[in-house]
Order: sequence, then structure tokens, then C-alpha cells
Amino acid sequence: MSIRIHHVTKRYSRYPALNDVSVEIETGELIALLGPSGSGKTTLLRVIAGLEFPESQGSVLFQDRDVTQLSAYKRKAGFVFQAYALFAHMNVFENIAFALRILPRKKRPPEAVIRARVQELLAAVQLDGLEKRLPTQLSGGQRQRVAFARALAIEPEVLLLDEPFGALDAKVRKDLRRWLREFHERIRLTTIFVTHDQDEAFEVADRVVIIDKGVIQQSGTPEEVRKNPANEFVRDFLDL
Amino acid sequence: MGLTLGYSVVYLSLIVLVPFSALFVKTASGGWGHFWETVTAPRVVASYWVSFGISFFAALVNGVFGFIAAWVLVRYRFPGRRILDAMVDLPFALPTAVAGIALTAIYAPNDWIGELLKPMGIKVAFTQLGIFVALTFIGLPFVVRTLQPVIQNLSDDVEEAAACLGAGRWQTFRRVIFPALVPSTLTGVTLAYGRAVGEYGSVVFIAGNLPFKTEITPLLIISKLEQYDYSGAAALGFVMLVVSFFVLLASNGLQAWDNKRKGLH
Amino acid sequence: MAGASQFPIPQRPNIGRRATAESPVAKFLLIGITLVFFSLFLLLPLFVVFQEAFSKGLGIFLKTFQDHYTQDAIRLTLLVAAIAVPLNTVFGLAAAWSLTRFRFAGRSFLITLIDLPLWVSPVIGGLIYVLVFGSKGWFGSWLTDHGIRIIFAVPGIVLATVFVTFPFVARGLIPLMQAQGISEEEAALTLGANGWQIFWRVTVPKIKWGLLYGVILCNARAMGEFGAVSVVSGHIRGKTNTMPLHIEILYNEYHFAAAFAVASLLALLALITLFLKTYSEWRAAEQLKQL
Repeated sequence: MSIRIHHVTKRYSRYPALNDVSVEIETGELIALLGPSGSGKTTLLRVIAGLEFPESQGSVLFQDRDVTQLSAYKRKAGFVFQAYALFAHMNVFENIAFALRILPRKKRPPEAVIRARVQELLAAVQLDGLEKRLPTQLSGGQRQRVAFARALAIEPEVLLLDEPFGALDAKVRKDLRRWLREFHERIRLTTIFVTHDQDEAFEVADRVVIIDKGVIQQSGTPEEVRKNPANEFVRDFLDL
Repeated sequence: MGLTLGYSVVYLSLIVLVPFSALFVKTASGGWGHFWETVTAPRVVASYWVSFGISFFAALVNGVFGFIAAWVLVRYRFPGRRILDAMVDLPFALPTAVAGIALTAIYAPNDWIGELLKPMGIKVAFTQLGIFVALTFIGLPFVVRTLQPVIQNLSDDVEEAAACLGAGRWQTFRRVIFPALVPSTLTGVTLAYGRAVGEYGSVVFIAGNLPFKTEITPLLIISKLEQYDYSGAAALGFVMLVVSFFVLLASNGLQAWDNKRKGLH
Repeated sequence: MAGASQFPIPQRPNIGRRATAESPVAKFLLIGITLVFFSLFLLLPLFVVFQEAFSKGLGIFLKTFQDHYTQDAIRLTLLVAAIAVPLNTVFGLAAAWSLTRFRFAGRSFLITLIDLPLWVSPVIGGLIYVLVFGSKGWFGSWLTDHGIRIIFAVPGIVLATVFVTFPFVARGLIPLMQAQGISEEEAALTLGANGWQIFWRVTVPKIKWGLLYGVILCNARAMGEFGAVSVVSGHIRGKTNTMPLHIEILYNEYHFAAAFAVASLLALLALITLFLKTYSEWRAAEQLKQL
């Protein structure tokens, strides 16, 4: 599913967090939103998710469908939060099953189907056997993957990751990066992830969108950006 | 989601704002003359001394002993500490009428402590001393509970540094620890004062309610209502509100001062 | 937030001091002072209530509760609490939810307003309703014409009780909900949950100990309120007497043992309240620690 963002502006106080931002993302791309803290990258992700709404003129389209005014719970955009936001009082199984359990009665699958689906997702993130554990009994990397599996339960057409590896230590980060890349190759879901770590962005993504102070500075494949930095900021930020 | 906000606002308006505006309107409707007459009547002024004055001393005593108690509860370990800690909230949880009759029973001339003090010629029940005791009881949790988390969060390294520099324990306390705790102590004292000023149930039994001697202002409000002097009652209510308002301002100000000192904003 | 809103977020257990400790003599003295202070002001009154209640023997104690005025008072107290507590719980939840999940103008005003009953004398809490609904009040004549009694009747008592107890649930919830943050709720939103589902499945399990804490305090105050209720009640035995008011009547008629007997029931409630409060505070702290 493609995502088109047209002229989105978002203001919190006097200064806009996003300033007339337009981006086009093709189906199946793995995009990194890269920038320093406060650049607006997380805000952009949240606007795409439906957790924030742009000022009047901007629009967000999912495969030519205007979803700008749709709230997050109608958008079917899988979101993985920076600190995972797992439901602390539910075990791994219940966390992943949540999206299925809250479906309206008519659409809700029977218990056996839910169970099978959760097992499938657990296998996909290589966490089989851990269904009964509580989030506090998991390592950071495990919690991250539960958050993934949970988001995948809604069968999303786009996956949004907010600094997915930020809170983990270096070795776990590298492993998960590789894992994300492989996962993407397998599933081919349009994926956007936010990061301030350029190595991560360049290693994992098909295309990098560099953003600063709410304005897109450059968008292109890692090679393109490295060879032709568009301006002073990009050169500086990437240490070229 | 705007639903919850709307509900809260409507609820608050009905329960709080509308009736309070009645207070202000009624006060005003009596006219300035009547208002002034009411709030400056000698008997009323005497009650101010009782309500606002004695509360002050009670709050101070709570400041001193509450400070010690908070320190002891946080820093020392001894059998029964947890129970004692839980009991600090008793004045908060116990109905004021129950406290009122219990305190009267203790300090009446023929019982318990009252008996002990009689030969010394000290009368507690039905005197201002009795009111003082009741108001101290009421304010007890405020200083203790305000100070406990603050003492808890004092970092050890500052005290250890002082010790390494040769400061004795008392010096360290006086120059390093206590200054850090002054704002919170004052906040606690202010809160205790605010509570004591409006207190009714625990005081009316032990006070004896002698005009000009042991009458508290809330009692006068009630007697005015009984006489159907609504605007008079409202006038006194207004005075009490003004005092409460200043206490609130003071406590907020202390909070802000404390935050500024700590570098928070 | 106003100073009074600095609600005790439960503290972690304390580390004993070693290198910088006071001398044993000083410690002993300080602990002693505290024990004396607490015994005098806290333990003694509590003890006296029970002692006086039984001072004339178990027989008189039990007889008090067979008196039908006493039973009426108990019934009324329970009724008032049964109305005021749920009302204020719903309010507390709504207020805490809107205050901690949204940013809006007037937020700090709302917070201060919620603390209001804790700052003003309970007598004022009764006064304001008399001014509105009393016979010389705003709606006074309208109410008398329609034969509706609010002041000197049960509705007035409920109103006054609601006023003095509405802060408790909100204040128990607000610091907890603020500390917990909204990311779990946002996650639920992205997973397709609507408002109600988020509330019941995600928020309520998280806040249940803070909620219990608030409800317990609210209830204790609702059952024990004296000043505000005294103003609106009319003290009509059997009709508008709550337990605290009944205690006053018994006391003023020199039925001391009876007064203390009823008081002992409320004192017992206070002890249970303290226990449950401490327990739920502890559980809420445990939950927060896991964040």
C-alpha cells in the first residue's frame, strides 16, 4: 500500500513541528525517517498513524484513500512504540491477541482461530514458548519483538516503527537490525521507521528521508544521498 | 473523549460553582453596611482570634514535632515503625465528631489526663488550650506527610561530604540538612494551618463554646444560619474563604520557591 | 499544582544510614519524643473511644445498637455513602482521565477547583447549599411551593457529602495516571480499540489500586462527615441524623457510653480504612516500580 503525504503542517506552539511536508512512499518500501531530536520525524510518523492530525490544508492518503481525518483505530497502521508500550498487566499471549479480542462480535474469529494466529505471530518473531510470560519477565529485545507481533496482529498494510531499537544495547541492536531487514524481505510490508542513528538508517532502509526542523532536507537511496548531499545540513549531519 | 471533560465540568459546576456563587451573591446582597457590621462584631472578632490564632500555634507545634516524627519515621528502624507510620493518617481517616468526643473525654477534669492536670490547676477541656489540642491533632498528618518524601529523597552524598570536611552531626544537620527541608516544613505547616482554620467537628465538643472565649468562627456561621441571618452567615463564610484563599496562595508560593531553589521549573 | 495536590506517591523502602548516623543517644531521644507525641495525640484518643464505649459494660454497648434511632442513623449514613461514593468515583475517573490525557486551557484551574473542598471549612460546604436551597435561599420559595425539601432532608445531606468528598478519587488517580503515561492507551488505539475498550481493558487494570485508594478515602470521609452535614441536616432524629450527628445528640444528652459505642463503630471503620489505604498504596507503588 502506498502512502502519500501532501503539504502537512503540524503546530504545537509557535514553531511548527512539521512545516509543509510532502512525501511519497511506494508499496513495499522500507523507509527510514532520519534526523536529529526535535526534527519532527516522530511527529510525522504519528500523523501517518492517526495519533496526531495535521492543520487544515494537509492530507494523508493510503493507496489513494484519504485518511487524513481518520483516527488511529480506523487506519490499520501497525505502530511499534519507542518504549514498546506493552500492556503490563497482560501476558505475551494476551498482548498479541488484544487486537483480535476487541473486534466487534461479528468480525471476531473463534477462540481456536485466535490462538492459532497468535502462535503464528510468535513464530514469525521467533518467540515461541513465551506466551505465558509477563512483559516484566522479558528482555528488551524480546519485548521489542512482542510489540512487533502485536502490531502485526491487525494485518496492517503499513508498519510504523518509532525508534524501534533505541532502548537496546549495541549487540542486540545489530541483531535486530538484521532481523528487521530479513523480515521485510520476507513480508514486503510498506514500513517506515524513525531513527536518529544514520548507520541504522543506511544499513536497513531502501530509501532514506532526512528531516530537520520540520522540513524534509533530502530523500533518496543511501547511495544517492551519500554521493550527492542536497545541502549543508545533510553534509554536516552525515559527516560527509 | 471530550465527553469526559464535559461531564467533569458540568458536575463541578453544579456541585461547586453554582452554590459558591450563591455565597458571593448573598454576601453582596446584604449590603456593605451589614457586611461590615457582621464581620467586625466583637463576638465575631473574638472568634477570629480563636479560629485563626490558635490554629497558628497548633500548626507551629505540628511543624516542630511533625518534623521530628517525619525524620524518625524515614531514617530510623524500630519495632512498630510501620504501624506508627500508618497511624499518622488517623486524624485524616477518623470522623471529626469521634475525635471531638474522644479528646473531650481525655481532657475533661475528671478523666484521663484532665485528672492528672487538675492538681496543677491546668484546665484543658472547655478552654482555649483544649481547642489547641484538638487543632494539633487535626493538623498532625500534614507536616509529617509533606516532609517524609522530601527527607527520603535527600541524597546521602551531601551529608557524607560534610562529614569528610569535618562537620559534626549536629553541624551537618544545622547547616546542610535543615536548610534543604525548610520549604517543605513551611508548606506542611501552611497546610496544617489551612485545615485547622476551618475545623469544626473535633473542636466544638472540647471547646465549650463560650462566647468571646472559645467560640470558633464556623460555629458562629451555624448560629447565624439558625437565626435565618443568611447574609450574615454568608459574610462570615466569605471571610473564611478569603483566609483559605490566602493560605492556598501561600502554599503555592512556597511550592514555587522550593522548586526554584531546586532548579526545577 | 497546589501544594495540597502533592499526594503521597508511595515511597520506596528506606535505606538505613551508616557512615553519617546520629549518636545512639540522639536517636533514642528523638524516637522517644516521637513515640510520646504520637501516643498522646493519636493512640490515646483511639484507645479512649473503645474504652469509654465499653465502660458501662457489654450490655449497654449492645443495647445502643438496638435503639431504633441509632439504627436509623446507621442506615442513613450507609445510604448517603452508597450514593455519594459512586457519584464521586465516576466524577473522579472522568476528571482524572481528562486532566491527564489532554492538554487544554484552564487545566490548572480545574485542578485547583478539585482541591477546593479540602481547603474550605466543612461548615462552608453546608452553608453554600443552604444559601441555594434553604427556605430563604435562591430556590427556596420555588422548592417550598412544590413541596420539595432539600435542606433539612436527605437530599441536602447527600449534596453536602458529595461536596466534601469529591476530591478524593480524583486525587488518588491523577498522580498515578500521570506517572503511567499514555503509551499503552495509544498502542491500544493503533490496534483498533475504541474509547470504551481502551478504558476498560487497558486503563482500569492499570489504575485499580489508585482507584481503590481514592474510593476508600472517599467513603471514610462520606461516612464520617460532621460539619457540612450538621449545617444542612436539621438534626431530626430518625430522619436526618447520620451517625456522626447521632453521636453528637447522644453526647449532648449525657449518654456518654452510648455515644462512644456508636463512635467506636466509626473508629473501627477508620482503622479498616487505614489498613486498606496502606495496602492499596503499597500495591500501586509496586505497579509503578515495574514501569
